Amino acid sequence: MTSTLVLGMGNPILSDDGVGLEVARRLQEGPLPDGVDVQQSEVAGLRLLELLKGYDKVVIVDALRTGRAPGDVVRYEARDFRGGHRYGSAHSIGLETALELGRRMGLPMPDDVTVFAIEAADVETFGEEFSPPVAAAAGKVVELVRAEVGAG
Amino acid sequence: MKKISVDPITRLEGHGKIEIFVNDAGEVANVYFQIPELRGFERFCVGRPVEELARITPRICGVCPEAHHMASAKAIDAVFGVEPTPAGRRLRELLYNAFFVTDHTTHFYILAGPDFVIGPTADPAERNILGIVHKVGLETTNALLNLRAEAAELISIIGGKQIHPVCCLPGGVSKAVSAEEQERMKQITAGMVEFAKFTLQLFDDVVLKNNDYVDLIKSDAFTHQTYSMGMVDENNHVNFYDGKIRVTAPDGTEFVKFEGKDYLDNLAEHVEPYSYLVYPYLKKVGWKGFVDGKDSGVYKATPMSRLNAADGMATPLAQAEYERYFSTLGGKPVHATLATHWARLVELMYAAERAHELAGDPDLTDPNVRTIPEGIVGEGIGVVEAPRGTLYHHYKTDDEGMVTNVNLIVGTTNNNAAISMSLKKAAEGLIKGGTEISEGTLNMIEMAFRAYDPCFGCATHTLPGDMPLEVVTKSEATGEVIASARRNM
Repeated sequence: MTSTLVLGMGNPILSDDGVGLEVARRLQEGPLPDGVDVQQSEVAGLRLLELLKGYDKVVIVDALRTGRAPGDVVRYEARDFRGGHRYGSAHSIGLETALELGRRMGLPMPDDVTVFAIEAADVETFGEEFSPPVAAAAGKVVELVRAEVGAG
Repeated sequence: MKKISVDPITRLEGHGKIEIFVNDAGEVANVYFQIPELRGFERFCVGRPVEELARITPRICGVCPEAHHMASAKAIDAVFGVEPTPAGRRLRELLYNAFFVTDHTTHFYILAGPDFVIGPTADPAERNILGIVHKVGLETTNALLNLRAEAAELISIIGGKQIHPVCCLPGGVSKAVSAEEQERMKQITAGMVEFAKFTLQLFDDVVLKNNDYVDLIKSDAFTHQTYSMGMVDENNHVNFYDGKIRVTAPDGTEFVKFEGKDYLDNLAEHVEPYSYLVYPYLKKVGWKGFVDGKDSGVYKATPMSRLNAADGMATPLAQAEYERYFSTLGGKPVHATLATHWARLVELMYAAERAHELAGDPDLTDPNVRTIPEGIVGEGIGVVEAPRGTLYHHYKTDDEGMVTNVNLIVGTTNNNAAISMSLKKAAEGLIKGGTEISEGTLNMIEMAFRAYDPCFGCATHTLPGDMPLEVVTKSEATGEVIASARRNM
């Protein structure tokens, strides 16, 4: 049987940046198929490698700023991130770098990596509330992830 | 006048931007770095029970949650007027040194390493962690990941959780450790000492045996004569968890030694209209602008500064490295910004040895881990050395212990003025009489910046692996873009 990890990422006290964690929290409440784990992570970098290793399939949910309308949801696959191995975050390496590093070290890394990115309005103000479009998107992404992992 | 932007700064927490203004003669006129602002922290904290701040402040960012947890715990001890029991203090200090081992090691291998191990002017496609793996081999990389995993295990034994420890309570920690846990922590910390030795040997082989690198480290372009700040114990040895704040002058003599609670008597903040991030300086010297020397209140709080501000290290292997560091670099004090990378490894040795010493303490399993508070003082200041500089937490509460006021000076902020000066000087040394700027030159300007291991705790996310470096040359008169270049890193 394949093993799947759903990973919600973000910062719980920087407004919309916490939405990935919220999606993971809601998924943890409901029934999910066997072999599907859900985790929340507030840090990335090498920690990603440590979290992802051993799974066949990984679904990541995170807030993102790309200039789209707040609340827009975009689905990416890991290969969309190929092309570089430097990342703008200090203590950090990017997703594809983490996967590649793991593979080079002979660790069992997932081949199937999907990212649901929720366009954030505000990730620079301390707060535990989401902006309305991001709050609305959270429910939608919960359903998208459930469909992605076969929970109907 | 032309403007060159290095945007965003690579391998730095948060999205930064360095702007270099070049005049018509092709000389550097000015350099600024800008970072995004996080808003509303104090408003977020006010009205909450003060003991919650030890769990809230670590979430400012994911890089050094342990440093905020410790500074916060010490400030909260002071708010309640309690001293931790010896057992509580021991466990805090053990956790904290294990965290330093992870943080300093990660910086060396992932951030600084690519510049030195692969080379400062190497192709960016190779100058990254994968390039390091190629160069140092899978065995070393495995050892690095193993060290991180074991440090996380130790932190969760004491801290309750791997990433954001929750153990510190007013007057100590929440639980004692068992004899089995102590045995495991002895093993883990012994491994840390070995890995620190190995890393210093690697630095020796790759950097110090290469004269070009040693010349680069010592070069004037990377040198600044400023005051040095660091925490010291009663013997004036470096300490990360507790002690007094000692500041030495550019010539190495002691300028002042003060208690953390007296920081407002010793530090003041300069403000510039173009930056929201303040520039702390030594109050008793005064702000004289972005200049070197004993008449300028600019100071640094970095691994290099901590070694300058101390008389030595409290553990034997670190002390030997401390002596070798100063003798190789021409004596004390050292002001060569890039030497910070070596100083960080001397500190790595100390953190590993100190963690091992504490893990072996016969009283480590003492169950008396907490002094229960009986009253409230209503104000407290907690100070630790964070990897990136001295970290001050200052809280005020009402008589119910509800927060009314919060002030933090974080590690990187201490170095704000010095970072600006280092960027300008590096740019001046490398960009002369022309606008032809190679990627290697830009990377060396970034190296001056990265030596400080700056961290602005910004959680804005971008597409991983698709970080652009943009160089834009603009006419200042018209704002017209004369040339631009972009690469993905």
